[in-house]
Amino acid sequence: MILRLAFASLLARSLTVGMTILAIALSVALFLGVEKVRTGARASFADTISDTDLIVGARSGSVQLLLYSVFRIGNATNNVTWKSYRDIAARPEVAWIVPISLGDSHRQFRVMGTTAEFFVRYKYRGGRSLAFAQGRGLGDLYDAVVGADVAATLGYSVGDPIVVAHGLASFSEHADQPFRVAGVLAKTGTPVDRTVIVGLEAIEAIHVDWKSGAKIPGQTTPVEAIRQMDLTPTAITAAMVGVRSRLQVFQLQRWINQYPEEPLLAVLPGLALQELWQIVGVAETALVGVSAMVVITALIGMMAMIFASLNERRREMAIFRAMGARPTTILGLFVLEAALMAAVGAMLGAALLYAALAVAQPWIDAAFGLWLPLEPPGAREVPVLLGVVGAATLVSLIPALRAYRLSLADGMMVKI
Amino acid sequence: MNYLRETAVTGKGISMKRLAIALLATAAVSPALAQEHRELGAHEHGVGRLEIAVEGSRIAIGLEAPGADIVGFEHAASSAGDRAALDQAIAVLEKPLELFVLPGGAQCVVTEAAARLVDEEEHEHEAHDDKAHEGEKHADHGHEAQHTEFRANYVLTCASPAALTGIEFAYFKLFPNARELEIRLISEKGAKSFEVGRDAPALDLKGQL
Repeated sequence: MILRLAFASLLARSLTVGMTILAIALSVALFLGVEKVRTGARASFADTISDTDLIVGARSGSVQLLLYSVFRIGNATNNVTWKSYRDIAARPEVAWIVPISLGDSHRQFRVMGTTAEFFVRYKYRGGRSLAFAQGRGLGDLYDAVVGADVAATLGYSVGDPIVVAHGLASFSEHADQPFRVAGVLAKTGTPVDRTVIVGLEAIEAIHVDWKSGAKIPGQTTPVEAIRQMDLTPTAITAAMVGVRSRLQVFQLQRWINQYPEEPLLAVLPGLALQELWQIVGVAETALVGVSAMVVITALIGMMAMIFASLNERRREMAIFRAMGARPTTILGLFVLEAALMAAVGAMLGAALLYAALAVAQPWIDAAFGLWLPLEPPGAREVPVLLGVVGAATLVSLIPALRAYRLSLADGMMVKI
Repeated sequence: MNYLRETAVTGKGISMKRLAIALLATAAVSPALAQEHRELGAHEHGVGRLEIAVEGSRIAIGLEAPGADIVGFEHAASSAGDRAALDQAIAVLEKPLELFVLPGGAQCVVTEAAARLVDEEEHEHEAHDDKAHEGEKHADHGHEAQHTEFRANYVLTCASPAALTGIEFAYFKLFPNARELEIRLISEKGAKSFEVGRDAPALDLKGQL
């Protein structure tokens, strides 16, 4: 009875009620969306590298090293000399080592020089290996393997020519030495998707005629001559290392960190990631806090709406009372109305979020490399939705109590 | 040692005589070079570092703790009392299962345990390779205020590693000056870091190994 009454009452004021519900829905969608992005970002970061014991680079910070070597965010402060790389590779603890050389780009994508072993050793999402969607790995000096996003965005397939640009955002290109797409990798959801992979020697080769970041004018070494040259690099950006036994990881890390000839840094990817979350955690908490504020604002808006309606519903309440409704019924009616509005708002918010996710998911993945899974509301979302309804009920008690008191007073009065 | 190896690598293909000269030259130069190399690790009194690596039934543990935490002083041991304190500390540090109490069900035994005291500036690989350099180093800052650190390495073998559900740190009871241990753990599940303090001297390992 009272439920039907509440429904009808809300319907009668559909415009203001609709606006209130919309405000709640948007705030709930925002809150859940922030949660989604937060957990999605954590998961996709954590899934980016696995089975690599150490990452070695120039001495900087562990988070910075992890970001530029694995996530291609930011740049290296320094390079690692080839000699140091050889020294580390010669350590008895080292089972495998894969060098990485960054710094050039192709369109909006970064170019990474490495060895063929990268395709065997690089693992993501709990030990999955890279797979080729098309073609094969690096064979010739001028072979390039492109990630899934590179191929999709630029429309590349096996056999296409690629010209690598010098630096990250520059107009000077290594046009004299074009590469050929030898393979296209299957989608991984990691930064590899947005990377053009070439051989370490190829990075040296395209810089043969370059000095101090600029091309030496008038000097072009023919490709045939370059092929004959010793293209052992002098420096690399970083290296991924696997150890023979897990028991030796810390020992090798200490050796590298104390390497006297060159200031190097070795980090455990998992620990660096944990460190990163400690830094990001503050911003995350702030984001969650702000979106919680938005939900609270929407609920206060609802309260204001109910307060405003009290006056215009005075007559209505008086009639209810005249027809025998108890003051508690009036109280119950107001609380129920508020709970209904919040419930509809919360459900609409969740629906909004899922609709937005379904539409934007591929775009977010392509633009930010962030895969937000479409999952049914879980242990994280359901308490939030229930919490919103609960908070709305609680908040509505304030105007409801006022209505309760008013309806008592109004009942006593002769005239209204 | 490292300088010699470098020369040997780059000197590939050079005649033996030239190689010998190059070797002599680097040998003469290396103490001077090493002198130029200055580096200091972090050193915070009260805070020790513990590294735990678990693979199958074997556990490797490395402990680095400031001298102040273990014996309460970091100056060179001058009195007989100081020396006795150091010796006693080393003896305690060589019994890992009494410092880091593991569940009895795991049936862990110590297969290796070694502890020693090092100067902060001393680098393991340098100090042991180069006698002359070591002498110079001691002469160099014997009089300066310096930091010392205890380093211990342990290898344990556990009959049933599945029973490793946690570690209790009697370490804090035995060394009243120690406040905190920064722990880095690596296992099949990946790497994680923890902080264990004097007020809650236990680490829960359920689901971590």
